[in-house]
Amino acid sequence: MATVQQLSTKHVLGIKYLTAEDIHLIFDTAQTFKEVLNRPVKKVPSLRDVTIANLFFENSTRTRISFELAEKRLSADVVNFSASSSSVKKGETLLDTVNNILSMKVDMVVMRHPAPGAHHFLSQHIDANIINAGDGTHEHPTQALLDAFSMQEAIGDLTGKKVAIFGDILHSRVALSNIFCLQRLGAKVRVCGPPTLIPKYINQLGVEVSYSVLDTLRWCDVANILRIQLERQDIKYIPSLREYSKYFGINKDLLDQLDKRIVVMHPGPINRGVEITSDVADSEHSIILQQVENGVAVRMAVLYLLAATR
Amino acid sequence: MNFLLKNLTILGESSTTNILIQDGIIQAIGPDISAENAEEKEFNGAIVSSGWMDADVQVGDPGLEHREDLSSAAKAAAAGGFTAFACQPNTQPVLQSKSEILYIKNNSQALIVDVYPIGALSHNCEGKEITEVVDMHHAGAIGFSDGKRSIQHSGLMLRALQYVKTVDGIVINRPLDAAINGEGQIHEGYVSTTLGIKGSPSLAEEMMIQRDLYLTAYAESKLLIAGVSTAKGVELIRQAKAEGVQVKASVAVLNLLFDESSLSTFNSNLKVKPYLRSKEDQEALWAGLKDGTIDMIISNHFPLEEEAKKLEFSYAKFGAIGLETAFAALHSQLNGRMSSEALIQKLATGVRQVFGLPIPKIAVGEKANITIADPSDIWTFKRQNILSKSKNTPFINALFKGRVLGVVNGIRTHFN
Repeated sequence: MATVQQLSTKHVLGIKYLTAEDIHLIFDTAQTFKEVLNRPVKKVPSLRDVTIANLFFENSTRTRISFELAEKRLSADVVNFSASSSSVKKGETLLDTVNNILSMKVDMVVMRHPAPGAHHFLSQHIDANIINAGDGTHEHPTQALLDAFSMQEAIGDLTGKKVAIFGDILHSRVALSNIFCLQRLGAKVRVCGPPTLIPKYINQLGVEVSYSVLDTLRWCDVANILRIQLERQDIKYIPSLREYSKYFGINKDLLDQLDKRIVVMHPGPINRGVEITSDVADSEHSIILQQVENGVAVRMAVLYLLAATR
Repeated sequence: MNFLLKNLTILGESSTTNILIQDGIIQAIGPDISAENAEEKEFNGAIVSSGWMDADVQVGDPGLEHREDLSSAAKAAAAGGFTAFACQPNTQPVLQSKSEILYIKNNSQALIVDVYPIGALSHNCEGKEITEVVDMHHAGAIGFSDGKRSIQHSGLMLRALQYVKTVDGIVINRPLDAAINGEGQIHEGYVSTTLGIKGSPSLAEEMMIQRDLYLTAYAESKLLIAGVSTAKGVELIRQAKAEGVQVKASVAVLNLLFDESSLSTFNSNLKVKPYLRSKEDQEALWAGLKDGTIDMIISNHFPLEEEAKKLEFSYAKFGAIGLETAFAALHSQLNGRMSSEALIQKLATGVRQVFGLPIPKIAVGEKANITIADPSDIWTFKRQNILSKSKNTPFINALFKGRVLGVVNGIRTHFN
């Protein structure tokens, strides 16, 4: 007896708008697609005749390629747009840009945008399914989904597991989406970094806060290490990268002091020698490349399930 | 034109009466009066009070007339029950000398509302050098402020407070410390954290209120804190008043009606300054209003073109229009915090008392300057009925309880 399973929403604007059931459904579907990706023929016809526009108003390599591959593996028709080569520079509004593209009969929009809430704004004015590929310092839901999916793969059910997020929490959409996603899945979350890079009210989200890297490494089962987002810092929140890497970076010496083995993750791109040293990034602790691989499967799942809501 | 306004309840009285207005003068008041050659209007017991005044209106005249000019602002004000308002100096050019003050005075002579310009405190509202405030005072400026810009420089603020004593003037400042505030888009708290939006700590307001209170006490001068939004800010003002500091305070309508939670859907029409803060802050503002710590309510009318609002939240400009909805929106949400009569009393007298302006009397022989409001009227606010040139309001299609029925200011009238 087959039951038709659907997401509770027609857009993926952020993890906070998804239910735990949505997340489990995405994971189950991603598992199937991961198997497909390891077959000799990696392509399925699921999204044939669905047109997807990838709108990137902010630079991206990994996420853009991951989405594009996911779309192509599903046989969707894909158009790409990036702000640097667009009319945005001529002063066109987001709404006009997107409406122009939608006039060409596009079904789904994958968008990265520097403004928090840009996808919300768009969802109130257009008809297509919208997937948030990062909106400023707000959310990056597919990153959080692939992170949690990869954690589950590494350590099993996340209920009661301890996940620490290290680094620039203040400017990180990955941190926020990770917190929401991990909490939906029953994990405990702690953030760790310089006090100036941790939002004052983050504890109201039910996460712990620590300024000690070693304490936090001892506490956690998984360490998700974020990049220092210098491009988002309008003022200096830390004195220097040198001091940051010395007191907040993760290195082999720290891991050697632990009496257990933890999983190390990083959403990329890595600043080797700043927030993470090479001997950690490339160690047996690290699942950084598995995250990238899972990214395609998870994005295929999200695209596939959203298309089913049409 | 003569009017016989029938069945009105004069604020503070229990029975209804009629008012006869001839050529802008109240000629007779009484339940049995009648008149020939007068247009009769029936009000079914609605409340009449002295005409209301708003102290915080942004007009785009001169320079930004596409947002609002004096004429459209006056129409919006009258529709909202106001017969007078003070306008901010943030125009292009800035209202910073006698000639700009006279421009406002001269161009508002024929309007239904009395317009009182606020002169800029510093050149171009840049917060550096003090303007010719004495000259502006004599031309008709009722206070001095950099308007929507907070005065950051403590030295300038002190000198301004001292210098306006020449004319027994009042300095008006919107408290927000720029260095602490940074690029704050909304109140810093739970909502800003979950939305990943830069937050403005309450501290940014509280610190400047504290500074300004110190400076005012030192200078023995007069200060109006425009648009307090934090509970701590209210408490600081309460204490200062108890200590005898000559400080007055206003609160904006939207701060009384909304808290940060209403921004969780990125509604750019609620992107305003003063920031919509926490539920506790909101209740402290009502408490401050009730116990007199806060002297007056301001519409904080800030017209903006659609292109400035129909945008990604962080790119949208701050501000909302508010003249036409101030009373109805507040009255709809009183929820027992205040009586209808007390609200009307605040609107009629709060601002004029702060600025030392005479409060219009409803008496035979006086110039008619009245506002009529029906607290029980239930109506929907529609976009097509907005008289302001700008439509940036969170209240389109809102259902209100309480409505302004009309105003009379001398020979000029407006009936909704």
